[in-house]
Amino acid sequence: MKIKFKYVLLFVVPAMLLYTVFVIYPLFDSLRLSFYSWRGVGPKLFVGFKNYKDMFTGGFSKEVFNAFWHNVYFFGMVSAFELGLGFLIALLLASKIKGAKIFRTIVYLPNMLPLVMVGFMWSLFLHPQIGLVNQFLKAIGLGTLARPWLGDPNLALTTIIMVNIWRNLGFYVLVILASILNISPDLIEAAYIDGANNWKISWKIIFPLTVPTFRTLLILLFIGSFNVFDMIYALEGVQAGPFRSTDVLGTVFYRTAFGGLGSAYTDMGLGAAVTVFIFMIVMPMSILYVYLVERRDRR
Amino acid sequence: MMRFSRLYKFLAYLVMSVYAFIIVGPFFMIVMNSLKSMRELFLRPFSLPTKFMYQNYVQAWQRASIARGYLNSAIVAAVSVITVVILASMFAYMISKYEFKGRRYLFLYSMLGLALPARLAVIPIFLLLRSLGLTNSLLGLIVVYSSVNIPFSAFILKNFMDSVPNELCEAARIDGASVAKIYSRVILPLVKPALSIVAIVTFVNVWNDFFFPLILINDRSKATITLAVSIFFGEYSTQWHLLFSGLALSIAPTVILFLIFSQYFIAGMTQGAIK
Repeated sequence: MKIKFKYVLLFVVPAMLLYTVFVIYPLFDSLRLSFYSWRGVGPKLFVGFKNYKDMFTGGFSKEVFNAFWHNVYFFGMVSAFELGLGFLIALLLASKIKGAKIFRTIVYLPNMLPLVMVGFMWSLFLHPQIGLVNQFLKAIGLGTLARPWLGDPNLALTTIIMVNIWRNLGFYVLVILASILNISPDLIEAAYIDGANNWKISWKIIFPLTVPTFRTLLILLFIGSFNVFDMIYALEGVQAGPFRSTDVLGTVFYRTAFGGLGSAYTDMGLGAAVTVFIFMIVMPMSILYVYLVERRDRR
Repeated sequence: MMRFSRLYKFLAYLVMSVYAFIIVGPFFMIVMNSLKSMRELFLRPFSLPTKFMYQNYVQAWQRASIARGYLNSAIVAAVSVITVVILASMFAYMISKYEFKGRRYLFLYSMLGLALPARLAVIPIFLLLRSLGLTNSLLGLIVVYSSVNIPFSAFILKNFMDSVPNELCEAARIDGASVAKIYSRVILPLVKPALSIVAIVTFVNVWNDFFFPLILINDRSKATITLAVSIFFGEYSTQWHLLFSGLALSIAPTVILFLIFSQYFIAGMTQGAIK
């Protein structure tokens, strides 16, 4: 329909004004700030590419890359577990067995809780001496498996990833389940008539038809994995101990920009450079995501 | 749908029970241990409390400012949801139903923020709010959350509005309905499912966020529930009986709310994700 332009403005400007001022402008302003050295108050000092140089060479770069690889590991682990396990459990649920509705509610429940609360909750369970996890292992005779889950540098990050999976798996199960239930039952009936077994149907029909969902989820997991922060904060603090073994780009950024005791590098400009770095990693995936949803949208 | 053998169904039940146990177990342990004395909690973590220490709850309630946290979170979430639903639906209505110059570019521009984490822009957001005197205020959080949730909401709403036949709007216009009337009387009632998806997703995003309060709020009386719990855990890190009861108190309303409306939440969140 045709419309007078002043009406368009009336309807469009409020949303776009907020969005431009508080989302788009700040993203660009981060880029500008990354060329300055600044304590947050007082004068800003233009330093050119120095922050980027610091980020990729010298002492600070070790911190950044240590964290970067943890983000990569995080992404690999959550994708494998949440999508892999998610698909298998969704297949079980698709069989329309009794109690599936209650089960759906139960598995979704942790997802409603704030990440940071789930983190604090597990920090109690995972305490090395008096935590319930180790006490439980001892009680059922598996005391040798008891570990300082959050205190061992080789274990801590994986433990945090497991807590993350505990919280989020239900969401992936239900999203994948929804896309399985979207498949036309006729298709599966026809396959049965042709003599296919359940194994064949799962891999040759259901899996290929849920691939678009996996693609979307994988992109969202990637973006999410490079923005991990809350759970590390709750379980290991901003120093991301033990010995930075759980450090991620999010905690590096927080320490750099907003300090925190024991942080060696603190500068708003350097912090902004870290966000630009994360932005550069995430941006291609965001564009791919928008491209995919837009393409589907037009069809 | 798929047919399954007895054995397969048995396997399904087994997996579901184990999984459900892993989810429910921890919640059960929180409640049980929240009612024990500190000593009993360490000595007999898995048994029922011998004496119900309901005082734990009284103490935790007072010290964790949980009521305040909940009130603040509720205010911020409610106002943000209303703002997002109104502004995003107005925007989507124009993009979906009218032709004007630059419509496609405006839509693409709004989608830039669809998959970009706003927390990457937190330094400038912090500085901007500081210059507006909106740090350490609920209004500051509301402004940020409303802005951040607009792209996703506008996208979902536009999709649903596209499926409303244009003839309906044109018929209303011939009957003399104004642009605003078509919006409020024709479009909005027809995209109610989308409005509820947008409201639920925004609500959950705001409710669960910890990052923005951590950076923008430094006064305990302004803390949202996530920040209040975090402060509480910092202050009482050794008093586990209080930590458990504080945790139970802060989790309970969310759990109850979810159990009542679980079908809506699940539908909203999963549909929001695949769209």
